[in-house]
Amino acid sequence: MADILQTLILGLALGGVFALMGSGLSLVFGVMRIVNLAHPVMIIAGAYVAYWGFKLYGIDPLVMLPVAIVILAVIGILLYKLVFEREARSAKYSEMTVLLTFAVAMIVEGALGGLFTNTQRVTSPAYATDAIFIGDVFIPTGQLYAGILSLVIIAGLALFLKYSRFGYAIRATTQNREAAELLGVNVSMVALVSFAIGIGLAGAAGSLVSFVFSFFPAKHWEWIAVLMSLVVLGGMGSLLGTVVASFLLSVIAAFVGTYIGATWSTMTFFLALFLILLVRPQGLFGEKPELA
Amino acid sequence: MSELLHVSNVTAGYGDGPAILDGAELTVEPGKVHCIIGPNGAGKSTLLKAICGMLKVRKGDVLYRGESLKGLRPDQVLRKGICFVPQERALFPKMTVRENMRMGGFSLPDTSNLEKRIDEIEERFPILKERRDQHAGTMSGGQQQTLAMARTMILKPDIVMLDEPSLGLAPKIVQEMFDIMRMMAAEGITILLVEQNALMGLKNSDWGVVLDLGKTLFSGPAKDVLQDPRIQDLYLGGSKAA
Ligand SMILES: Nc1ncnc2c1ncn2[C@@H]1O[C@H](COP(=O)(O)OP(=O)(O)O)[C@@H](O)[C@H]1O
Ligand SMILES: [Mg+2]
Repeated sequence: MADILQTLILGLALGGVFALMGSGLSLVFGVMRIVNLAHPVMIIAGAYVAYWGFKLYGIDPLVMLPVAIVILAVIGILLYKLVFEREARSAKYSEMTVLLTFAVAMIVEGALGGLFTNTQRVTSPAYATDAIFIGDVFIPTGQLYAGILSLVIIAGLALFLKYSRFGYAIRATTQNREAAELLGVNVSMVALVSFAIGIGLAGAAGSLVSFVFSFFPAKHWEWIAVLMSLVVLGGMGSLLGTVVASFLLSVIAAFVGTYIGATWSTMTFFLALFLILLVRPQGLFGEKPELA
Repeated sequence: MSELLHVSNVTAGYGDGPAILDGAELTVEPGKVHCIIGPNGAGKSTLLKAICGMLKVRKGDVLYRGESLKGLRPDQVLRKGICFVPQERALFPKMTVRENMRMGGFSLPDTSNLEKRIDEIEERFPILKERRDQHAGTMSGGQQQTLAMARTMILKPDIVMLDEPSLGLAPKIVQEMFDIMRMMAAEGITILLVEQNALMGLKNSDWGVVLDLGKTLFSGPAKDVLQDPRIQDLYLGGSKAA
């Protein structure tokens, strides 16, 4: 019994972090119809920001988090201006961006490897190796902080989308781009800002991930499939769906890890991605794909 | 004769594709209901898209109050007072009815009166008030069309262009949509209606325009167009129809 509860808690704690990792990807897909394969490598870049802040200056990764958001958001703006702005007007846009984002992922990985080597890193503030005990079960403090903070950031994003004027513009563009434009929304501006927010969220996720998992530049390949399974199960572009899917898959992966074997834990995500695409390609909260 | 909008000899098409409109002519008078009819594929929707700035006008001109609309983006045309309700109704399916209404006021420079304005419109369309917190995508076709039309009134537009408001609706609901349109016209909104259902469209309009193969063939008072033998044969299914 204690085992089951323990596994559940570990799954839930990571679920929050996965949700934040996936939310930027989901937002960018919703607005721009880009499957940003470079999203996970941006998370790695965010992790390096937190890592070096701690290593060089002893700054807590939670304090580095807003710094990582800003740095990555600026990178997002540059990337959008350099790579995606022209593409956004092209009809073959979706197919093109798969290749483009793949190329960006490779380039950023190469740059990070060149700068910081391929050594495994992990940020190690005191709480990262601490744990809170409640009776028989324990919660790693680092995972707890990361999970809670992830949910706080996602809640902030949800409130922004729901109530702010710009949030209305983002949702409108996601749901019906042409209609948004007809009603006076500047959809290119919405795309730019959403992309910046999405990459900024990768920076936030990276700071938290930096003390939860060990990382190195090429680690993002593993995360692509994990994040894809989250946003596909959630329904591409649905933030709520991404969050629900993250908790669901993270808990399942925790149980698989405990009862079947740690190596099978990651397989959960790959298998889930495969099954979802076969059985319910629109995911939990997505629209049925149009066949027209 | 005073004219609000004048489309003269317009050529337009999609992307680098062939000209879909070639020789489209249209005169819109203030306060009236104008109905463009023509067979499927005639270019009716294309004409509305060219007016509202979604498509580039390649040749000819679109004059609004004597000023050219050529080269303006859809949001700029909107801000001049011309609203377009496309065939697909331009709703946000996962926003609530109320949120859809707010989006209707997105282009307003000052939104301090927006909520009050939406309240006023909800009073006149009880179904929208009743469904205000429901996702627009879960409503019936008639309710969605009602929302799309009512939403334009937030901006107090001069002209509302409606592309096939009757599309996919049961006959009884179709008449309701035309009643809403007439009510908008009674408030001084000039209507530019596109209808595949020529008989219904013309019966609810003041002025009729016949478009085929991207060219204006004929226009006149709606009841004259209804009676015209050429139109009777072509689009109204023979002389029995009227
Ligand atoms: N998005 C588009 N891209 C290319 N061609 C189009 C597009 N939409 C319509 N057309 C073509 O333009 C012509 C006129 O279409 P449309 O204006 O929709 O006709 P109507 O509204 O009168 O039925 C048709 O031949 C159609 O195939
Ligand atoms: Mg049409």
